Amino acid sequence: MKFGNLLIAGLVTGSIYAVFAVCVAVWYRVCNILNLAVGDFAMVGALGVDNLYRVRGMPLAAAIVTTLVVVAVFAYVYDQVVLRLAQDGPRRMEGIVVTFFFTFALAFFIDGVAKMLFGSDVHAAPALWNGQALTWASLHFERAGLLVLACAIVIGVAFWVYIRFTLGGKALEASGENAIGARIAGIDTRRYRRLIFVGTALIAAVFGIVESPITGYTYLSGATISLTGFLAAAYGGFRKPGRALVAGLFIGVLEAMLGGYVSAEYGDTVLYALLAAAVLAWPRGLGFESAVSG
Amino acid sequence: MSEVASPGARPPGARQAALKVTGLSVSYGNVVAVHDATFTVAQGDACAITGPNGNGKSSILMGVTGMVRRRGAVEIFGTKAPNGDVRWAARNGLTLVPERRQLYPELSAADNIILGCYCWTRSLGRARRSASFGRAIDLFPELKPHLKQAAGTLSGGQQQMVAIARGLASDPKILAVDEPCLGLAEVVARRVYDVLASIHEQGTTLIVVEEAPKRALTLCNRRVEVRNGVTDTPGGTTPPYPPGI
Repeated sequence: MKFGNLLIAGLVTGSIYAVFAVCVAVWYRVCNILNLAVGDFAMVGALGVDNLYRVRGMPLAAAIVTTLVVVAVFAYVYDQVVLRLAQDGPRRMEGIVVTFFFTFALAFFIDGVAKMLFGSDVHAAPALWNGQALTWASLHFERAGLLVLACAIVIGVAFWVYIRFTLGGKALEASGENAIGARIAGIDTRRYRRLIFVGTALIAAVFGIVESPITGYTYLSGATISLTGFLAAAYGGFRKPGRALVAGLFIGVLEAMLGGYVSAEYGDTVLYALLAAAVLAWPRGLGFESAVSG
Repeated sequence: MSEVASPGARPPGARQAALKVTGLSVSYGNVVAVHDATFTVAQGDACAITGPNGNGKSSILMGVTGMVRRRGAVEIFGTKAPNGDVRWAARNGLTLVPERRQLYPELSAADNIILGCYCWTRSLGRARRSASFGRAIDLFPELKPHLKQAAGTLSGGQQQMVAIARGLASDPKILAVDEPCLGLAEVVARRVYDVLASIHEQGTTLIVVEEAPKRALTLCNRRVEVRNGVTDTPGGTTPPYPPGI
């Protein structure tokens, strides 16, 4: 039963990676920018709710709504000011500056503000579904973990349906494939960039709120989350949300298995060594070649 | 066969102007690509915009459709077109089939074509059932076996057909086609022109940008000549080949 419990734990962690990987991949698909701040929105979600609820005594529902509204408004303003100047202006910037720099700077900015507002201790949003772990045939299901899995499934399916079965989803793909071609068809590529940026910021914040009771967050947790999401997205060549999702789940399960069977201490080290080895062995199969060529 | 008379049969001004361009200028930074272009395309016309490479033919289309900012006035069926609004132009009947096709390489050919419907609907189902999408698909029987294939893997001629089909899916009254035969083999180019001719016969006003006027003039009944970014309509009011800008 050790295997089963490790698998469950791995799927829960993996679904977190997967969702962030999908967020990174979908947005990259739209506007060719890597969102390195996506994890920071999760951190703001978790610590913001904690701060409003525990420190300022707001009712939980109000705290959640307020935090989400703040995140959405902030993401919207950021897109309207920074990304608009960078991508839409008469002096359009191209290449690595836009791909990495602006969201990287945003991540540091959010971290700094979060440290000021929330301090540097470990906190978490209150658990939304309280009670003992559920047990079934000696398998343990943490309630928070089940919530995370459920959220991941809902979000994954929603993305899939949107991209696969709506004209808007196809327009979103077209925006990233060929911005000029998209404009010719009357597609407002900026609108999709904004929509997905604000949308993924909200998804990240919700995930932070749901997931933080499991791990606990500090103002620096965002970077780690972004990094794993980024890594899993890389396994989909940044452009294939479906593969990013599978990669995220796989990395989560592998991490849990290595931690359980190989070494709790060096599990992560072995994990990243294996991931790097896999890329070297099958660069094309894992989508890394397209990641390089864009 | 159609309500459009054979080329050149009717006197100019007898039909409604589909597209009226007055004093159009397009600049890229300090470089002036089009200066003060003025011309009119009547409904049912097939109009060729000809002239040597780099003289601003494509920029005229880019400015007219709103792909780039412009100065000057553009009227589509009598309504003034807002500057830089491609979607408005497409919704009001003017669609561009751009130079180099500008497809979405990783999307399937069918998805490329159906995105032409984006300017008038957000519903995938309605787009699939629409007459304009059906017409766009039916016009190219040779694309049928390749509709599920990624557009980037198609041949140049097939990609051009996908681009034209995408333009048709928007249900245009005026189709502006920019260098449709660029890089195509002669036999494929002829097929593309046959298709353009049948689109014209079905009543769509055509504007074709061509470097080689010979081919364009087999189809077109009107011609706008562009030199150094300045238009000159043979037989029109503008003097032939004015000095540079």
